[in-house]
Amino acid sequence: MKTFRNASFLFAFASLAGCAPALPPQDLVTARASYARASHGAAATLDPAELHSAAESLQNAEGSFTDEGDTQRTRDLSYVADRRAQIAEAAGETKRAANQQGQTLTNMHAAETAHADDSSSRLGRANLQLAVQDQSLRSQNQQLDTERDRRQDAEKRAAQAAADLASIATVKQDATRGMVITLSGGVLFASNRADLLPSAQAKLNEVAAALSKNDSDSKIVVEGHTDSQGGAEYNQDLSQRRAQTVRDYLVSRKIAADRVTATGFGLTRPIADNASPEGRANNRRVEIVVQPASP
Amino acid sequence: MQVQLIPMVATSWLVLGCGATYPAPTQPLADTESAERSATELGAANQPKAQLHLQLAHEQLLRAKAAMKSGDNESATALLLRARSDAELAIALTREEAAKAGAQTATDQSNTQQLKNATQGGQ
Repeated sequence: MKTFRNASFLFAFASLAGCAPALPPQDLVTARASYARASHGAAATLDPAELHSAAESLQNAEGSFTDEGDTQRTRDLSYVADRRAQIAEAAGETKRAANQQGQTLTNMHAAETAHADDSSSRLGRANLQLAVQDQSLRSQNQQLDTERDRRQDAEKRAAQAAADLASIATVKQDATRGMVITLSGGVLFASNRADLLPSAQAKLNEVAAALSKNDSDSKIVVEGHTDSQGGAEYNQDLSQRRAQTVRDYLVSRKIAADRVTATGFGLTRPIADNASPEGRANNRRVEIVVQPASP
Repeated sequence: MQVQLIPMVATSWLVLGCGATYPAPTQPLADTESAERSATELGAANQPKAQLHLQLAHEQLLRAKAAMKSGDNESATALLLRARSDAELAIALTREEAAKAGAQTATDQSNTQQLKNATQGGQ
């Protein structure tokens, strides 16, 4: 490069001194322009070695022109110098493009990594949310299973209780009232009395045992009924006392007191004709109504 | 490449200047043919800028061979010098175009990726 500048300086000095050589050939002029363009381009920083080669080529051409003037040799060397300058320029642009491509790929990789990290983070949060929802769902299912098992167990025990009761009393399933256990009044009480016969206690023991198998949330209503013999008021009182006696006995047999109530209906709800002895016997009764717990 | 080329040229002219018989430029011929082949294999014929210099190299190579055949080794040497520089310029221009195409492809991919990521991020 330094040599090239010296040659240019000598050329200028020689021109001023009056012994100027002939005008430079067009090839040399072109080579100078090509080198000037290359030296201001990417090659200066990205491929200085190639630019240095171009400078040497131009220096050879300039030297030939200084020594020999516009000869074929000068033109050939100038032609080569022009190509060398263009090669240097192209090499600089090639490296610039390669650097740009490398930088773009690096940035793209970094962006892709960042995006993947973000996606992974979002996936993690989504999975965590799903796990929480899954746990909640499992808990709900467990509660549902427990509730179903409890109901199945209650139904099973109720069925067993009904079967047990069927052997000692009349048991009917009433759509509105629930399970109705009917015990004959003659079996439980002596005429016009409200205290239990000794034989009645054995039956009520079985009833209590069956009821204890029933759903502990169900309500029990003991209803007392009479025939139409005697006054209504008397029968009302008698039926109330009999219902209360049965209720108290069931409570004494471990049926929860708050589950059981007693109500006397007197002669108001006959189930048979009071004109016949059989009808009146059927009307004298105690009904134990088991109302299922509200769902 | 350049380091070899310059002494060769200087030596050739030195020999001529001393009035010696000009030797047949067999090595420069082989080097030039090799450079032309490389340019062709790189695809210089498909690049407009490189194609011109490949064509110049080819024409000057043919003229150099003809000169050698007629015994004008001096002209052949000069023509081979020009032909080789054109072939090497064709190579450089082809590489430049390939590098620029690669950079453009990377830029396009990057833009596509950014668009894709932005779309996914908005979901």
